[in-house]
Amino acid sequence: MKLVLNGKEIEFEGRQTILHLARKNGVFIPSLCDHDRLTPFSGCRLCLVEIEGRRGFPPSCGTYAEEGMNIKTHTPQLKKLRQQILELILSEHPSSCLICSEKKDCDDYKSTIRKVGETTGCVLCPNNGRCELQEVVETLEIKNVHFPALYREFEVKKKDPFFDRNYNLCILCGRCVRMCHEVRGASAIAFVHRGSNEVIGTVFDKTLVEAGCQFCGACVDTCPTGALTERALKYETLRDEESKTICPFCGIGCVLDVDLKNGKILSTHPANGTSLNRGQACVKGRFISKDVVYTSKRITAPKIRKGKELEEVGWDEALDFVARKLKAYKGSELALIDSPQMSCEDIYVSRKFSKEALKTKNVAVSPGYAPQSIYSSLIMNNSMQFPLNFKLKDIAKARTIFLMGIDLTVSHPIVWLEVLEAVRNGANLVVVSPTELASTRFATQWLRNKAGSEIHLLGYLSKIILEQEEALDLRSIEGYETFLKSLVKLSLENMMEWTGIDEQQLRDTALSLLEEGPAAFLFGMELTSLSQKNMGGLALQNLAHLTSGQLYPLGLENNQRGHFELTHLTSKKDKKIDNIKHSMEDGQIKALYVMGTFPWPKKIRAEFIVFQGSHENDFSQKADVVFPAATFAEMCGTYVNIEGRIQRSSPVIEPVGEAKPDWWILAQLAQRLKRPGFNYKKSADILVEIQKNNPGLKKASPEDLKKGKEIFVQEGLEAASQFFSLEFSPSIPKKSKRYPFLMLNDYNLDTYRSLYLGDVSRGLGKIRDPEWISLCPEDAEKIGLEHGDSVKISSELGKMSGRVRLTNTVSEGIVKSNFIWSENQIFHKMILKPLGSDDFKSIRVLPVKIERG
Amino acid sequence: MNNEKLEKIIDSSRTDQKELIHILHDVQSEYGYIPPEAVTAISRRLKVSESEIFGVLTFYNAFSLTPKGEHVMTVCMGTACHVRGGPQIVEDIERKLDVKVGETTADNKFTLETVNCIGCCAIGPVVVVDEKYYSNITLNKIDPIINEYKEDKS
Repeated sequence: MKLVLNGKEIEFEGRQTILHLARKNGVFIPSLCDHDRLTPFSGCRLCLVEIEGRRGFPPSCGTYAEEGMNIKTHTPQLKKLRQQILELILSEHPSSCLICSEKKDCDDYKSTIRKVGETTGCVLCPNNGRCELQEVVETLEIKNVHFPALYREFEVKKKDPFFDRNYNLCILCGRCVRMCHEVRGASAIAFVHRGSNEVIGTVFDKTLVEAGCQFCGACVDTCPTGALTERALKYETLRDEESKTICPFCGIGCVLDVDLKNGKILSTHPANGTSLNRGQACVKGRFISKDVVYTSKRITAPKIRKGKELEEVGWDEALDFVARKLKAYKGSELALIDSPQMSCEDIYVSRKFSKEALKTKNVAVSPGYAPQSIYSSLIMNNSMQFPLNFKLKDIAKARTIFLMGIDLTVSHPIVWLEVLEAVRNGANLVVVSPTELASTRFATQWLRNKAGSEIHLLGYLSKIILEQEEALDLRSIEGYETFLKSLVKLSLENMMEWTGIDEQQLRDTALSLLEEGPAAFLFGMELTSLSQKNMGGLALQNLAHLTSGQLYPLGLENNQRGHFELTHLTSKKDKKIDNIKHSMEDGQIKALYVMGTFPWPKKIRAEFIVFQGSHENDFSQKADVVFPAATFAEMCGTYVNIEGRIQRSSPVIEPVGEAKPDWWILAQLAQRLKRPGFNYKKSADILVEIQKNNPGLKKASPEDLKKGKEIFVQEGLEAASQFFSLEFSPSIPKKSKRYPFLMLNDYNLDTYRSLYLGDVSRGLGKIRDPEWISLCPEDAEKIGLEHGDSVKISSELGKMSGRVRLTNTVSEGIVKSNFIWSENQIFHKMILKPLGSDDFKSIRVLPVKIERG
Repeated sequence: MNNEKLEKIIDSSRTDQKELIHILHDVQSEYGYIPPEAVTAISRRLKVSESEIFGVLTFYNAFSLTPKGEHVMTVCMGTACHVRGGPQIVEDIERKLDVKVGETTADNKFTLETVNCIGCCAIGPVVVVDEKYYSNITLNKIDPIINEYKEDKS
């Protein structure tokens, strides 16, 4: 199609707005309310254009290009109009600096500084220099505002974490409201009141925390003025450099832009134009990453225990000391613990180090989430039956989305955005959850099942589908008969009793899963950590197979998939973390090398302990030697995200203190132990070696990754061709007289290796605190508890304490807690037994007793 | 607050988000205002966020956030009523009831409001009490109206 833009004929394809088309063709039209990811709003009226044959001046952001249009974007009349509209906008926005005759001098020599405050001008505005409004005033050459200035005299809202809201600077473009509603689905803010009293606000002017804000920061990033500003950036100067990194706080691996000043991180925000997170991030990536790098908990130099204290020493001294010490032990007396939050290079070298330098088989992975790794739950008979790779983008194209065992808006907010997009496009959303979640608000079917009955529910669902779809030609598929046989035990009459779901609802769900179009099964830890080993993953695979759907396993840790790819061929021989603890207690293991977390800091009984990590914690205090490891921002590293996408990040800053990448430290030690093959100059050397040795990562060449090529893990599998026979446990966790409540443990990954993020960011603790015990008001009244009371919780696994948080999201008889793996958390005692042990007992659903603590 | 009543209003078969305004109207006429508990309950029922509901209910004058008096006295301030003395009438009522526009008297008897035109300009200035219209109001006519409702002991 063709049209004429400012006298020039241009070609275009498909449905796009004139504004978009003009920008693509290098024509700048000012606009303050338009945004790529939002539906046209036409609120600011700055993008007006002339179209031949059309009455008036249509806004180009809300007018779609048509064949044969003749559009003018820069006539004298338009300029005058735009100026006047902008003057109206400025009449309610402090503008004295914007239209000051000494503006230029002031920029150069600060000749007029300090004569205006934030209420009238820009100089003290936290957004000065980063402001879109300033840019537009500049381009429209506003010299004077012909309307009386109005300062609305709102109090600046500072009660919420991370950012301040100063609605005196707001121009009501509505980008924040629309972003919160359309893209994030939170709708924590809205336009409140009407006409000249209109303002952006929350329900009854509550704080954002109370209004359900998740502090993703999308509103702050999209605000064209200083109305919403990151508190940590206030009074900071402007960036002098910009760089990119990969967010290390969950399995998605969002690309983040990093603003730098004098080689230090000023702030991080989501990168635009990436196919992965498309300009969005979450609270961790947006507001916390800087704190993680610069916190006072960082370990900045190698330390050796001399007497009672850990003393800082040079690298050589520390490395020599450790090498000498390690030499004294036999392989079987040494144990090494690594972490799925390390880069592929680090994990590879750590495994090689344990095999070739330590000569030990005592290798375990940090007990965060990995022991019941979501990926190993998909393995049956030692072979993978289902492809693990997927594309996030495909979720938005799904007809039906089945969400189970995960609080997606908290654990993977960026995946949630894709789900939301699908829902907005008319997809069915089935959410299986015993408690109300942010996602249940959007569910077409919310299966509020009895906690712990998930596997049964999947079985029933399969059974119903099999009944309905007799025509399906499944008999020839391997395992079909045994699968069918295993379902015989389930009788539909008992379904309500088992799952708490009525038959009709499950039948409706089955129907929507069978609708034409792709079905997407998203699941997380809370399904795979149920007590029936692996059954969750297998039952879901069967269901996906029946409905020709795709599985989306959502791992939590940033390199969980990479860790799996690098180790799953050998990891069958891996020790469980509690085996190592037992061997240590028996005196078989005498020295411990920990790069992740070791959950029993107080019970450690090793002669020699090395801790290698970036942050101090209880465990690092017990170590004999501490090595400072570089963080994600300070080194090159390759990470595999939940999609199977391989990404490589480059360092954005120099390491803090004397921190070094993990691989460097290990390679240095290996060389001191006189082992060949550890002579790495840079991390790319290791990646090349990984490529050679690991078929899954063979395409991950450093050059291609650097160029930003989309590279995925190589998989041999197309789709499953096998059904699995299911086992249903004879009972689900039940309340008893002794333990009258069921406690659900949700998994959140609010840790970075040895650090709990809440320890460096108080704001995070205001949104979700691992101490919170969610309880419904009715139950609280029964036991005589109030919001904020401290409580003791006991179960047959142990005791823990917490604080009551009243919420209607849980039903009577249910208590919910957030399980955050960290050494400093109270949850230790409780999870000691189940995690990683062979007689694996579910901690997802536990019968408990609650008392005032 | 009577929770049963609230549940009855909200827990009818109306679950479509389009029903929001109708439900708010019912709550308003039952309670004389929109209590915060109702916003929470409606939000859960209709799956609309509380802030969005708040946006809607502050947009319309028909909804109030504070409890209204037994009788709502509305003075028209449309152009026609305005030029015929609307402002003086409002002032006079404010003085007599000892409230400002938008407020409710201490005895909870009256709430005073203004409106920008009720469409019967020919008989202005107009005062509306509850659903009853009083036409051609002069300052002399105000006391009788107030007394009519004051005496109306229920």
